[in-house]
Amino acid sequence: MSSNPGQEGAVAHHEHESREHASHEDAGIGRFFFGHVPEGVHGGLKQYGLLAIFLAIITFVEFVIILPEDLRGSSIVIAPLVILSVIKFFCVVAFFMHLKFEHGLLWQIFVAGLVLGLIVAIALVLLFGVFRPTPRAFSEGRQQPFVHHVEEAPHYEPLVVPTPAPLGAIAPAPAAGAAAGASPGQQIFMGAGGCSACHAIEGLAVGALGPDLTHIATVAESRVPGQSAEDYIRESIVEPDAYTVTAADEGIDQDFQQGLMVATTSSLGLTDEDVDELVEYLMTLR
Amino acid sequence: MAHAETAHAPPVEVEEATTTGINHRKLLMWVFLGSDCLFFGSLIATYMVYRGQSIVGPYPADIVDVPITTISTFVLLMSSFSMVMAVAAARSGNQKRLIQWLLVTIVMGCGFIGFQVYEFNAFRVEGLRYETNLFSSSFYTLTGFHGAHVTLGIFWLICITIIAARNPAGRPSGLDVDIAGLYWHFVDIVWIVIFTLLYLIGGFDAGPDAGHAAVQGWNWVTGLVS
Ligand code: HEC
Repeated sequence: MSSNPGQEGAVAHHEHESREHASHEDAGIGRFFFGHVPEGVHGGLKQYGLLAIFLAIITFVEFVIILPEDLRGSSIVIAPLVILSVIKFFCVVAFFMHLKFEHGLLWQIFVAGLVLGLIVAIALVLLFGVFRPTPRAFSEGRQQPFVHHVEEAPHYEPLVVPTPAPLGAIAPAPAAGAAAGASPGQQIFMGAGGCSACHAIEGLAVGALGPDLTHIATVAESRVPGQSAEDYIRESIVEPDAYTVTAADEGIDQDFQQGLMVATTSSLGLTDEDVDELVEYLMTLR
Repeated sequence: MAHAETAHAPPVEVEEATTTGINHRKLLMWVFLGSDCLFFGSLIATYMVYRGQSIVGPYPADIVDVPITTISTFVLLMSSFSMVMAVAAARSGNQKRLIQWLLVTIVMGCGFIGFQVYEFNAFRVEGLRYETNLFSSSFYTLTGFHGAHVTLGIFWLICITIIAARNPAGRPSGLDVDIAGLYWHFVDIVWIVIFTLLYLIGGFDAGPDAGHAAVQGWNWVTGLVS
């Protein structure tokens, strides 16, 4: 049967033609605009011209409808506008795109897409426009004045991610960020210990995930009753979860995250000597 | 096939046999257009959701120029007419007419884009940048994507015109022009919707202080529901 595709094509074409012919009979507006449509050509200058004039008139009427200022936005105006543009829409689809005279499947495909699109649109409007009351009031509460920030670009402090490298390999070299001649404890703090990624020390480190350690030696005295500053600091390093700094301690909005610090230091494999150095250094921050 | 050589004979179209009886290229175009409805449907819905929700100006009422846009809408609508004439010329094998109508369509398409460039620029000068407010973001996204569609259509038509000018016998076939025409008309009908919703209906929306009915967005629907 596939031996003669040409004939098959001809049959299909013939069917197509007769279908077209059938739809001309009941073409309604189509007949009004096109009269008898010659085969293969759905209208000439005259028919298409008439439709174009018709569409232009609709557009003009739409424009006239919105002229009275006090009616704008009311349903008296919106309803005819919607109706007119739907007419325009389907005139173009049916005649300019000659969908009216095409195989029914094309019509179904297009309408399927159109209806799906409409459903999506209606769903979106219902979800976010109608059933969520007054988004404007919501956003007004959170309004921030609009400022041009082109000139002063926001300055982000670089966040140093601690490198979990074996300490022995790195510690001897003066770590980045630590001043030359800095104490060994400070070098570990700024370098291999990775502490500066989370903690701030005035003039030295800017980390923000953990508490500011600028005056840790003083603060540590009163954190846990009965515990000396040195013990508290040591405990904070080797067993950070023993006492978790709270929002109230620091006068900020949010508690610090328990478990955050232990995860980092335990993977670094700090030796007892390293911890001693760190504690010694932190005890100088009064 | 002897008649194919004579100057004004209709270009020969080989109808391929398909299971549906519809030319597969035409079918593809309609499937694409159907899916593009979804694309524009969601962009239009996004605009409608954010309609009247901007809390910083400029608001549509301050800058949207409805009369000018009515003219550009008219231009686009008329380009659909010239497109349809081009298709008719291609179908009857009149290559000269085809090129003429294609050129008219291209010029009108460029005219429409010119209006849009003018409009965007006027908005920018008034201080409506893409990130200024909900109105500007949703407006530029929607109309920008539509403008991109029109621009693509213009390129397509230019290609067809060049092909037609270089091959007086045969190409582009009626179907070639027809399919490009489908795309062109689709872009036109999308604009019909955009023009009604964004300009005729939404073009007069004012800011939160106006106390105007239109600015209340969809609250009137909420009123009906509850
Ligand atoms: C991943 C981020 C992170 C790193 C890296 C880190 N810390 Fe911490 N640190 C925290 C957090 C969060 C807290 C508060 C929660 C708590 O007390 O467990 C804290 C608490 C502390 C405290 C107690 C502070 C106070 O005000 O009571 C000290 C001391 C301390 N860290 C020292 C260090 C030292 C020394 C290092 C380097 C070896 C280090 N931290 C590395 C996140 C970190």
